Amino acid sequence: MKRFHILAFLAVTVGFVPTFHNVGWCQATASEQAHSNSMGAQSYAQHCAICHGDQKQGILPGFPPLLDVSRQLTQQQIENLVRTGKGRMPAFSKLPQEEMTSLVRFLATDDLTAGTSMGSSNVAEAGNHLFQRNCAFCHGRDAAGGESGPDLTRSKLVLSDTNGSKVEDVVRNGRPEKKMPAFNFSNEEIHSLFLYIRHQATSSRPGGRRGVDVSDLQTGNVDAGKQYFNGVGGCAKCHSATGDLAGIASRFEGLQLEEQMLYPRNAKSKVTVTLAKGQTVTGLLAYRDEFTIGLRDVDGVYHSWPVSRIRYTIDSPVDAHVEQFSKYTDEDIHNLMAYLQTLR
Amino acid sequence: MKFWKHALAFATTALFSGFCHFLIAQNHQPANTTQRSPENWPTYHGDYSGRRHSQLTQITPQNVAYLTLAWAFQTNQTAAIKSTPLLVDGILYFTVPDNIWAVDALSGHMLWHYNKPTSDGDHIGQRGVAINKGWLYFLTPNCHLISLNAKDGTVRWDVTVCDVKKGYWTTMAPLAVGNHVIVGVGGDMDNLAGYLRSVDSETGAEQWQWDSTPPTGTPNSTTGGMTWMTGTYDPELNLLYWGTGNPTPVLSGKTRPGDNLYTCSIVALDLDTGKLVWGYSVSPHDTHDWDAVETPVLVDGDFHGQPRKMLMQASRNGYFFVLDRTNGKNLLTTQFGPVNWSLGVDKDGHPIPNPAKEPAPDGRLIAPDEGGLTNFRAPSFDPKTGLFIVNAHPSYSIYFAKPADGYYGWAGADYGLWGKGVIEAIDYQTGKLRWTHEVGQGGSGAGVLTTDSGLTFTGDAHGNVLALDTSNGKTLWHAGMGAPMFSSPSTYELDGRQYLMTSSGGVLFAWALPETGYKLVSTH
Repeated sequence: MKRFHILAFLAVTVGFVPTFHNVGWCQATASEQAHSNSMGAQSYAQHCAICHGDQKQGILPGFPPLLDVSRQLTQQQIENLVRTGKGRMPAFSKLPQEEMTSLVRFLATDDLTAGTSMGSSNVAEAGNHLFQRNCAFCHGRDAAGGESGPDLTRSKLVLSDTNGSKVEDVVRNGRPEKKMPAFNFSNEEIHSLFLYIRHQATSSRPGGRRGVDVSDLQTGNVDAGKQYFNGVGGCAKCHSATGDLAGIASRFEGLQLEEQMLYPRNAKSKVTVTLAKGQTVTGLLAYRDEFTIGLRDVDGVYHSWPVSRIRYTIDSPVDAHVEQFSKYTDEDIHNLMAYLQTLR
Repeated sequence: MKFWKHALAFATTALFSGFCHFLIAQNHQPANTTQRSPENWPTYHGDYSGRRHSQLTQITPQNVAYLTLAWAFQTNQTAAIKSTPLLVDGILYFTVPDNIWAVDALSGHMLWHYNKPTSDGDHIGQRGVAINKGWLYFLTPNCHLISLNAKDGTVRWDVTVCDVKKGYWTTMAPLAVGNHVIVGVGGDMDNLAGYLRSVDSETGAEQWQWDSTPPTGTPNSTTGGMTWMTGTYDPELNLLYWGTGNPTPVLSGKTRPGDNLYTCSIVALDLDTGKLVWGYSVSPHDTHDWDAVETPVLVDGDFHGQPRKMLMQASRNGYFFVLDRTNGKNLLTTQFGPVNWSLGVDKDGHPIPNPAKEPAPDGRLIAPDEGGLTNFRAPSFDPKTGLFIVNAHPSYSIYFAKPADGYYGWAGADYGLWGKGVIEAIDYQTGKLRWTHEVGQGGSGAGVLTTDSGLTFTGDAHGNVLALDTSNGKTLWHAGMGAPMFSSPSTYELDGRQYLMTSSGGVLFAWALPETGYKLVSTH
């Protein structure tokens, strides 16, 4: 859904204001239908084209194409989105209903067969075309991941999907919890998309960044890792294999586990602020720069102070991970990784 | 000299008072030497030396606390401003990918906007335009060099300088010297040879091309050595100094034995012919994506008791270099933060890469990370203190590569673990840090500007613009800009008022001392 955020913010800032067309509402005759279409096109050109391109082709990677927008959204959903805006996309709340109806129709009645298997002799090629128009904005042009969508060429789901049914399920139903929208494609179209993604996943893709498999991270020695954990590594000063790390290998695996092991990004720091009058406030560190300190108290309420007016102390256990960086050998890391992978 | 410049400016301004103040300077020739008029900022680095040091002294350590917003300009773009605005004849020219703006430097209002959306080529950033005799030079993500009329943004000519379909792109601010426009290219997702090209400033015709590496497909040889950052120029020696990018394949060195010249190098090229005069490898056989494109800063001065024409670079690989720029001989190599990938330096000051720290199937812990100990954000050299001030990024990461990753393009994977931002003041005679100033977890993308009054301007990781005391690194002023800075600050003077120029997100900020009431406050 992020793809719509940027819609037309430019149009707003360069001072376009929705215009009122003094045309009465009536049943659509053929000529009025044509008029409505042209009004929709006009409205699109005025409000949307500056970001989404004259031909709805989008301007990747910044601006999503709208060519196949009706595959993800009903006409009502399109209208709601245009009316209310979302994220950085501004609301076009004052668009007259008639113009809105025309605009939505214009957006939703694109030639949906263009570029699909209907118009192409090669199914995977058709899938490529469909992918570029509908999926590339989030998942990258080569399906190897973009800013907001994961790398599909390394997706377990894709790699384990022999007949396309798993991909179909995700595409048809979306993954709302991960902001992946549902798409309305024909069976042939889904199949062509699946073939394209599989092709990307199995062919040797030139140039792109590669990944790390769980099997790559099995070179360490469990006993040596355990020894390091309890000994020179100093891990046991803060962690316990039967306490906070019990079952860690069930929660994380592979690269993710290794990254957590080396530096747990989401670790929290505690801060105690002593106010001018001597009372103290304690909570989780929420913000810190040279000038301001912010915390969340036990109730989750945010407080902040200029650092010049208070004193504060921070308890940041994660700093021990930073100090460890210069002490590790690569072997230590591999051994430690082997040991942590036994904590299931 | 300065008095007469001011007097002339004042007299002419008075003549045209109420009219466009910048018309008076139509005959101004943009700086073609390292000596520019300190009021202007006519090249990406301000002048050809890359020092990013201004002689303007109106804003001082004593009054900087009163610095206030003169105006802000909103581009309404999601792309962050990474360019340094040029300031010529009262007009600022700056960019984001596919866009140029001309803005009145006095008021911040827009004069014109050029926008031509492109969908191919990497839109990773745009670092600004060059100007020569009223013509601007602008590079697009899809490899076009466009010359526009600085008056109204109309296009004079448009030439192609690389092949976007092969995987090249362009992001840099070209360097205009005489009738040359020097352009570099980017592109390390494919095994492509980097090059630097000189284009005729009037016609756009190619004058020469220098290739960083042998052509793609040469056995046992490297490709890469992209030239994506603006270099520097010494008019006396008539030499261009340019940093080159990483070799390709990026994370695997198997197919490219040896030092991989001239990737990750500093090269000196003859301006008129493009011929290599000398080259210095900063990261022999790099396998960590540490482009050596950071500004090659040109400084004339004493080195260990001898007058020298020097070139200094704080490089992405974690090493600070001082070279004799007449011949490329090494004077100093030191580390300016955690570095764990080398076995030390050889007799000529080149770091010796440790084979055990090349990316491996089960991972190698590497300092610094891929972003490096510093990067495209510009450093500054302060002549009074002899300090080379750089925004450093102590950091750790893990690097992977296995045969299955192949030998094309990236050829591996790497993941940053942790990093922070530190402004470091390096004594160029010793490489020792005279002071450090932490700017936050994660690190900051802000460059550095120093001024003759003893001020250092930069930004922190959170979006604050900072004014530091150059002598000790203490904060003297700050202001929150709402988003971190990914550009390098600059300064100019207009109608007797000094402006500090910064950006964050898509907004440009001009800071100055208050026009009224300031004296009242300061003498209070």
